[in-house]
Amino acid sequence: MILLKLISWPYVRQHLPRWLLTIAGIVLGVAVFVGIHTANQSVVYAFHQTVDRIAGSTQLQISAGETGFDETVLDHVQAVPEVRVAVPVIEAVVSTGVQGQGNLLILGVDMTGDRSLRDYDLESSGADDDIDDPLVFLAQPDSLMVTDTYARENHLGPGAKVPMSTMDGQKLFTIRGIMKSGGLSSAFGGNLAVMDVYAAQKVFGRGRKFDRIDLALKDGANLEDVRAKLKTLLGTGFQVQVPSARAQQFDSISRVYTLTANVTSVFALFIGMFIIYNTFQIAVTQRRTEIGILRALGATRRQIRTLFLGESVVAGLFGSILGLLAGIAIARGMTGYIASLLGEIFGIAQKADEISTNPALMTFAVVLGVITSVVAAVIPARSAARVDPVQALQKGKYQQLSAGENRARRIAALIIAILAAACLLFERYRIFFYVGDALAVLAALLLTPTFALLLARALRPLLRWMRPVEGTLAADSLLQAPRRTSGAVAALMLSLALVVALGGLTRASYDSIFGWLTVALNPDLFVSPSQSLTQRDFRFPESMGAQLRAIPGIGEVQLVRDARIEIQGKPTMFVAADIADLRRHATLPPVAGNTEEMFRLASQGKAVLASENFALLNGFKLGDVVDIPSPSGMLHLPIAGIVTDYSDEQGSLLVDRALYKRFWNDSTVNIFRIYLAPGAAEADVKRRILDTFGNQRRLFVLTNRDVRRYILRLTDQWFGITYVQIAVAVLVAVLGIVNTLTVSITDRRRELGVLQAVGGLRNQVRGTIWLEALAVGTVGLILGLALGALQLYYSLHISAEDMAGLRLRYEYPYPIALWLLPGILLVAFLSAIAPAETAVRGSLVEALEYE
Amino acid sequence: MIELASVSKVFLGKRTVTALENVDLSISRGEMVSIVGPSGSGKSTLLNLIGGLDTASSGEIEIDGRRLSGLSDDELTRLRRDKIGFIFQFFNLLPTLTCQENVSIPLHLRGWPKKKIEERANELLNLVGLSPRREHLPDELSGGERQRCAIARALSVYPPVLLADEPTGNLDTHTGAEILALIRDLHERLGSTVLIVTHDIHVAESCARLVALRDGRIEEDRAGRLKYGVPGVPIHDPAETH
Ligand SMILES: Nc1ncnc2c1ncn2[C@@H]1O[C@H](COP(=O)(O)OP(=O)(O)O)[C@@H](O)[C@H]1O
Ligand SMILES: [Mg+2]
Repeated sequence: MILLKLISWPYVRQHLPRWLLTIAGIVLGVAVFVGIHTANQSVVYAFHQTVDRIAGSTQLQISAGETGFDETVLDHVQAVPEVRVAVPVIEAVVSTGVQGQGNLLILGVDMTGDRSLRDYDLESSGADDDIDDPLVFLAQPDSLMVTDTYARENHLGPGAKVPMSTMDGQKLFTIRGIMKSGGLSSAFGGNLAVMDVYAAQKVFGRGRKFDRIDLALKDGANLEDVRAKLKTLLGTGFQVQVPSARAQQFDSISRVYTLTANVTSVFALFIGMFIIYNTFQIAVTQRRTEIGILRALGATRRQIRTLFLGESVVAGLFGSILGLLAGIAIARGMTGYIASLLGEIFGIAQKADEISTNPALMTFAVVLGVITSVVAAVIPARSAARVDPVQALQKGKYQQLSAGENRARRIAALIIAILAAACLLFERYRIFFYVGDALAVLAALLLTPTFALLLARALRPLLRWMRPVEGTLAADSLLQAPRRTSGAVAALMLSLALVVALGGLTRASYDSIFGWLTVALNPDLFVSPSQSLTQRDFRFPESMGAQLRAIPGIGEVQLVRDARIEIQGKPTMFVAADIADLRRHATLPPVAGNTEEMFRLASQGKAVLASENFALLNGFKLGDVVDIPSPSGMLHLPIAGIVTDYSDEQGSLLVDRALYKRFWNDSTVNIFRIYLAPGAAEADVKRRILDTFGNQRRLFVLTNRDVRRYILRLTDQWFGITYVQIAVAVLVAVLGIVNTLTVSITDRRRELGVLQAVGGLRNQVRGTIWLEALAVGTVGLILGLALGALQLYYSLHISAEDMAGLRLRYEYPYPIALWLLPGILLVAFLSAIAPAETAVRGSLVEALEYE
Repeated sequence: MIELASVSKVFLGKRTVTALENVDLSISRGEMVSIVGPSGSGKSTLLNLIGGLDTASSGEIEIDGRRLSGLSDDELTRLRRDKIGFIFQFFNLLPTLTCQENVSIPLHLRGWPKKKIEERANELLNLVGLSPRREHLPDELSGGERQRCAIARALSVYPPVLLADEPTGNLDTHTGAEILALIRDLHERLGSTVLIVTHDIHVAESCARLVALRDGRIEEDRAGRLKYGVPGVPIHDPAETH
């Protein structure tokens, strides 16, 4: 401890900029880690909170996926003796259309029973106190209750009229109650409104169906027993769950996103480790005289090692705390983005304005930061302990600290590479595949110094040809002090490899989605009750199909109903459409199965069609039987065909509409797919549809182009994480290079002085620093682009088998590489500006003096 | 050739040091001047100021008719690379470059064509007798050879002024004598103006002119009292000098 104060503190004070650079590695890692995690968690947490607050004192919830169920179910449930109270619920999220207000969660409830489950704490308005009588609320189907925050923000008082676009056209609602803040009214960020459940059925076009039944038990009734009893009573098509289980669906649906985000954040920390390693390694080389003196004065090796590890703990702690603050700032910026992304892609809208700073995560991040820092310092601390006092005290003599280490490292790398290759043989066991990936990266890391040296050697003639003195010296700087650069190069390599892998994955996915959109998504118009196709809260009545068909210019109308239901416990997209209709417009051959056969079986309701990603993610093959829970009982249908369909991340199942209507007793429609009659103009037909339904129906007409653009935009946003990765890569490049150069100019001070003394102009001195930066950048680029090629292979497999279920072609993302090339070199050059200036500013006389 | 008019150099720091105080000195073309004085008397500072490595706090320095004060950093460098060759005590060779490459640096920095550089480097290495060692790295050379290489580098464009700060300070007596003989030889053959800082009183006295510094002032400026025949070996009794 005393050593830390006596020895380290003066060094830190003297080399403050450099020490801050060390910390920057940790700051970067921890910030990205905390930022992504916090943003993600905030969204998840907000969802859980909403579920929790809406649940009130509900003990069990009954649902049937997203499809809803008949009103009669309520009677059966209420008849169960252990049930104290059971109430129907419709829950929907609507876009308010008000700028800055975002979405509004609407809860349709039966006021009479609901108050024993949920606490509607109303502000006494004085004027319109009749709301306290639930029967009044019921009697007026245009009643609406809002939270006080929502009322305040939108300047709504009791009695105010609010227009709302419903399935029966534009309607005016009257605010008949304002809920005090806290509890229920803080659900969904306060953007909550309550209406009568039967009014909600009309507003959302639900027919005589409920989304859910919330219930509480009589005192003394056992929760598990009642649950089992209800399950047998209702059949397999229903889920009977505690409220928190519903929140877990959100986790399951956003799993892939969370996973990707986590990989990125952990990677950031990993890369930060190399920056720290680099700075510590350098510090040891530079402080060898000091270490030598300490050793000569009687310090043991262990004390020296402890000194350096102690420094790394302090640096780690300091950096982690800074990173934490930066991470929270990042999270603030990202939370809204992630929330809307998840909302749009999965149709599970969530409002997360506030970020939830989880103390456990914060502590974990700090601990992780410190551990990373210490791990990064282990090797440098060992080298420090190995410094030979005699050699260290001889002026100008450099002790080769790494002799022998190199050979051992190369051998280890070779063995690891062989093991990685061996793992590929057992690829079908997932664990081997992941271990193989990790080993491949490890081998690449171990070989980095060797490759960096070889590349620097290869670059020397080129640099020499460019600038005989400045270029040669720049290359020699890399060759002479591999320690100075290897960490920076490794960090750059890793982050560029990730950029290439993620970029390649993005491009491949994008290409296949684009291809699918172009070929398979061929309706001319889509008529939807919401602006976004992933929003399924509003539904059209079936009768609208005939009305549409009657509009001139419309050739064909397909009725589609999609909803998420639980298959093998996983929320899966279930699509019902007239298979015979689809058959007529099918353009893509199936991935597996016979075209004629599969359409025939499916249209007869004897089989389902599965999307390729459903099959891959859930391990289904052609002919396998899928158990599909419906409110009328379990369906066992074989997969007659596997088709390309990217409409849902988790995969989808397609059945005939007749079958769906029969088993789900649901004739509503989410989307009408429209094919124009020959010669009809798209714009004309679109206008005619809008004119026909005018304001008697809430509807949106989207053109094929709109939908394509929308899907591609979602895909873009989904891969937004790639941009975070590129930003990290650029930061790593800057940090690593600034770091390396800062040390380089100190180490080369004398050399640069000589250069000036024998006639080198300022620009020539700057030139050698710039060239050194470019050399580091080039080496990092070459290694990164190469490792990226390998990493892309792994990423594609992971994506295909474990994440997205997309089988993608391996194609190296040359455009990304071509962008990175000048990009990283430019960044390298920019990073060199400040160090180069420092190099030409110093006193020549001092530079030329011997150490 | 070299004119100093009441030149002073003050180092400002925690404690202010006056390294040179009102120094007046005039050196003609082709002179060989030794500079002596106890450690810390300002010898190196004087050389650094003349060589444009550092700037005077006050006073005027003129090299070959050009005033140094008011020159920008790059102008100073240009003047230096055309007019002045430096020889350092610690050679200051670049360790990763071969002997020939080290000698070529100043020529490359001037942007000479490759062919001309090669010719000149060979010529210089011949001149200092280092041709056989051309491809060697500094580490593979003896101290004397390193200093020869450094001298060749200093001579690269045959500058009119050679500044040597204790060129033999890091060499054994015999090698030191050889290096001095070489410098003297070059001085005679090339006619350059040579300023040499030395602690070796024999060397100092054998120069035509001797300038002695003490506490940043010129204490003595007179002719050398020794003649030399064999390099580095005085003809007269050294005792005479006292
Ligand atoms: N960069 C500097 N900063 C402060 N003082 C200096 C610096 N360089 C030299 N000095 C001081 O100037 C005086 C003259 O130094 P110098 O010319 O190196 O002496 P000499 O070469 O004769 O031994 C000394 O007292 C020395 O401490
Ligand atoms: Mg000196």
